[in-house]
Amino acid sequence: MDMPAYYEFCCRVKIISGHDVLERIPATLAELTARRPMIVTDKGVVGAGLINVVVNAIGGRVDITAIADDVPPDSDLRIVNSLARLYREKGCDSLLAIGGGSVMDTAKGINIIVSEEADDLMRFSGANALKRALRPLIAIPTTAGTGSEVTLVAVIKDHEKHLKMAFVSNFLLPNACVVDSRMTLTLPPAATAATGMDALSHAVEAYTCLAKNPLSDAHALAATRLISDNLLKVTLNPGDKEGRLGMASAATLAGIAFGNSMVGMVHTLGHSVGSVCGVPHGACMAILLPYGLEYNMHKNGHLTAELLFPMAGAPVYAATPKEERAQAVIALIRRMNQELYEATGGRHARFFKEALDRDGREMVPKERLPDIAETALRDGSISYNPEDLDYDDFLMVMEAAWEGRPLDTGLIRKG
Amino acid sequence: MKNFREVAAGKKSLKKDYVAVMMWFMGRAIQAAAAVDMAARKEFAGMPDGFTFALSVMPNGPHMIIGKDQRGFVRYKGWDPEGKKIDLDMKIKNIEAALLLFTFQESTTLATARNRLVVDGDVAHACAVVRILDIVEVYLLPKIIAKLAVKRYPGWSFRRKYLGRMLIYVRSIFGL
Repeated sequence: MDMPAYYEFCCRVKIISGHDVLERIPATLAELTARRPMIVTDKGVVGAGLINVVVNAIGGRVDITAIADDVPPDSDLRIVNSLARLYREKGCDSLLAIGGGSVMDTAKGINIIVSEEADDLMRFSGANALKRALRPLIAIPTTAGTGSEVTLVAVIKDHEKHLKMAFVSNFLLPNACVVDSRMTLTLPPAATAATGMDALSHAVEAYTCLAKNPLSDAHALAATRLISDNLLKVTLNPGDKEGRLGMASAATLAGIAFGNSMVGMVHTLGHSVGSVCGVPHGACMAILLPYGLEYNMHKNGHLTAELLFPMAGAPVYAATPKEERAQAVIALIRRMNQELYEATGGRHARFFKEALDRDGREMVPKERLPDIAETALRDGSISYNPEDLDYDDFLMVMEAAWEGRPLDTGLIRKG
Repeated sequence: MKNFREVAAGKKSLKKDYVAVMMWFMGRAIQAAAAVDMAARKEFAGMPDGFTFALSVMPNGPHMIIGKDQRGFVRYKGWDPEGKKIDLDMKIKNIEAALLLFTFQESTTLATARNRLVVDGDVAHACAVVRILDIVEVYLLPKIIAKLAVKRYPGWSFRRKYLGRMLIYVRSIFGL
């Protein structure tokens, strides 16, 4: 086992997980001495009827002081400021974040402003700018992917200044997360597939990149197994409650893993594709994951090989020669993408050329690949990637991922 | 309480002095690289004029401060942060971690991965600083040591590597 000379691990989020656990929210709020929560969510969650599920589960036991449902798909500074004003006006004392990554990030941003009694969120951007505990925050994920319910990061965009601000602090960890299988039952197959592959990319990069440690490894391996067992099942059969709970748990496990060992080039490029072309994060992760493993193979192939066990099971692992296991893992991920493509009627993109927006337009024009490579150079996650990448390397990987062909290993410059 | 005797923390003067000297020379070498090396110049071009960054050892230094003036020239601005507006502070958590870094037992990226660095400021600029440090290390160090300090030893041309190395050493020594 690779043993780092030094590592840190922190996850102090109380995790409440199961089929009917939303009912635990009042008791959890009481433990935090909170009585007047504000719900932060988005219109998609409201439209799917999930707020009603939560409100019915809570019953009359908690005074829900405000419900804010205008969180956009990308967290936005303006919305954070306006919802912080609403929180103050209504006299709320805690937050319930119900949604995916954007909702969680927005709630974390609101919490910074209201707890620090600040007007300028920017003052707290960067790492470790927060120095004390914030107001109680309970996260209730409605996707099984981001892992934001257990991470110490929030990314909030200032759309006016075209800035993406990252906030990193242990004080951003929610006090509790409530992972209930009912909350993901209505997630459409394409979103299920993409967010599930996002969770897989968290687990795989946490296990194979530079900041891995034995504690994050344990979480990453468990997540990988649960995703391999359940992702295709729930994409084909969205009403599978056991499978949904498995995926929700996997996303939380993977979130803990990558929150403590970070991620590498798959996320570096994925953030850039998202920022330049607006491709959903999960779709980027699904496409880029095999390329990240191929690129780093000469550095961490032995770690990739170990993932064959949780992904394919003991018989396949034992029957595969040691030197072929890493390639088998990459082949399995490509096969998963293919199966998800078929299960979603072609809506799960396998490469960037076939990533389309709602109007059927190509999302990643080939001429934007240089911009993506340039943007990737400014992403902090690159520090954690085993092999170095410069502009030419990023472009080479993007060209392959755009066309959907495997990397030409002869072009990889090995350090 | 009257019997309480305050125990002063070990000063580790020798280690601090070693790191301070390394930072002093590295700072001057960064200034030199910004003038000599195309890639380093490009990295600095991405930073705004007037931008200042520091590499510091917690809690009390030493520090290395580099600034880009209003005309775009890169200058080593000494080891004293007092009175200087630092836009990006990359803090090494303690002197032992700094020693690992400056004895090249651990690369900058590995130090980051092992949580030995705290970045206070813009992450995009921090990425550029790490790339600049890598470039300077390749110039200053023999390949066998530089390979430990950087993730991937670059395949530079003979001219870039040896002429650049000579120019950077000369400029660093004379503070040009």
